[in-house]
Amino acid sequence: MKTIFTLTCRNFKIFFKDKGLFFSSLITPIILLVLYTTFLSGIYEDSFLSALPPTVEMDQGVLQGLVGGQLLSSLLAVSSITVSFCANMVMVNDKVNHIKDDLLTSPLKKPYLAISYYLATFLTTLLILFVALIFGYIYIAISGGFFFQIQDILWMSLDLILLTMFGTAFSSFINYFLSSQGQISAVSAIIGAGYGFICGAYMPIASFNEGLQKILMFLPGTYGTSLIRNHTMNASFEKLKDTLPSFAIEKMKDSIDVNIYFFDQKIELSIMYIVLIIATILFLGLYIGLYLLEKYHKRKA
Amino acid sequence: MIKVEHLSKNFKEVKAVKDISFEVKDGELFAFLGVNGAGKSTTISILTGLLSKDSGKVFIDNLDLDTKLDEIKKEIGIVFQNSVLDVSLSSYDNLKYRASLYSIRGEDFNKRLNELNSLLNFSGYMNRPFNKLSGGQKRRIDIARALLPHPRLLFLDEPTTGLDPFTRKRIYEVIENIRKKENMTVFLTTHYMEEANDASHVVILDEGQIVAEGTPLELKNQYAGDYVYLYHPDMDLLNQIGIEYEKIIDGVRFKINTTQKASEYINKYPTLFKDYEVIKGRMDDVFLNVTGKKIEEEKK
Repeated sequence: MKTIFTLTCRNFKIFFKDKGLFFSSLITPIILLVLYTTFLSGIYEDSFLSALPPTVEMDQGVLQGLVGGQLLSSLLAVSSITVSFCANMVMVNDKVNHIKDDLLTSPLKKPYLAISYYLATFLTTLLILFVALIFGYIYIAISGGFFFQIQDILWMSLDLILLTMFGTAFSSFINYFLSSQGQISAVSAIIGAGYGFICGAYMPIASFNEGLQKILMFLPGTYGTSLIRNHTMNASFEKLKDTLPSFAIEKMKDSIDVNIYFFDQKIELSIMYIVLIIATILFLGLYIGLYLLEKYHKRKA
Repeated sequence: MIKVEHLSKNFKEVKAVKDISFEVKDGELFAFLGVNGAGKSTTISILTGLLSKDSGKVFIDNLDLDTKLDEIKKEIGIVFQNSVLDVSLSSYDNLKYRASLYSIRGEDFNKRLNELNSLLNFSGYMNRPFNKLSGGQKRRIDIARALLPHPRLLFLDEPTTGLDPFTRKRIYEVIENIRKKENMTVFLTTHYMEEANDASHVVILDEGQIVAEGTPLELKNQYAGDYVYLYHPDMDLLNQIGIEYEKIIDGVRFKINTTQKASEYINKYPTLFKDYEVIKGRMDDVFLNVTGKKIEEEKK
């Protein structure tokens, strides 16, 4: 355990000492934050208002709470993957720079090394996401839409931990196969650009065509986005109940992936948790399994 | 300390190591020579458990590499061809984290750090980031890292590549000092042939095969011969004797098979030997003669 702890500290320290890695991990959250506050928030506002009958007037605070909640959930869902991919580059760099050779000539057990990379990436990602969450709270509070109760905050924190565990397990599994700087760049670019679309962060999955929606429902990231969106928007939807009938609220929830459906079957929050936990265990198991199967470190001669 | 029997390793069509066998005795400085691509690093990677072998047996300290790798890892230290420490961390952090892999922590680590510092003298730059150190300073930290677990066997994989001659000399002095103090066996690979001069035993590898082995003196006597250098000689007499020579600045040099032959010439033609020296063949000559490679081919 002491070895895992020490290695985790080492990986954590390397990430924050490497300014390139640290700042590149912040790029996605910062770009999204700027994009949302300057551009997308207006579109989301118009979208919510257009869904209401002309006779109904929505409270400005509730509107800002809904917009802020959607923005925050998207930001956290995407960043849980992109940040963990960046944080996990310590593992890839160790391989590319042959530092792994040095580590493995000691009596270190390979799964210990794998777990230390996982823990360091998890802690790094969680730290950055919690900072992003606090900035999100501040933004929502300034815009006048902060209705969160303590239980909402606790649920969001739990979601964030789970999303980070999933993101770290997924990135660890993918990054295990990377062994050159070119591959690192390619994967970072693909993940950074593409993941937001397929997890429903940039655009709600409900706005895609039916075939694509069905395909995306097989991806665990979709459930993560919806899960945290439920909790970032729940308080505002509760407030909205004073203005709108529940069927109209449900329709609104359908349109922004708060409610998601697997072949017309509505997915309960408990199922979302189960899907994320199973996906995390699966990717983590595969990742550690790969280290266990590696009898010899595949060093290039 | 090391026993290698019929070791082979292929990378697809490339036969990197071809059925080699050798032994390294306890406490000796063993030199494993060869040009780049000869198979030296592949052999070291196999001996240290980083690379699988295709066939053959390896025993380190009587432990079978196939079944006792974890125990072997506690006995060895490696200085890699290029530094493989964390560039953004300080030397102290690098050594602290690496030491923990051997369960050397707290007071034990501080004690070992002091011991290594007294051997390698790196305290002046211990807290500086590793990437801010000079080549020689980095090498000292690399060596300190390899020595952390009190290894009985130290692998040095081309440890002086890229270093200036002064630093190279200093590094070897330090290694030799440590070898004697810590009673270690040192397995050195290098393509600087002269670095093997002080080795107890030398194995020369070429294209994955052992082409010669012995002590440096045996190899020089067998493959290099001696050179006689004559400065400002009587050229008429030289031509009259009929010795085949090669012109050099301020004189000539010619090859003789044994030092005895030089004595014979000196006794027979004392007027020719006014300003002269008899020099043993170099390890470079041994290598070129053994592998049949000419300098011209190297240049090509």
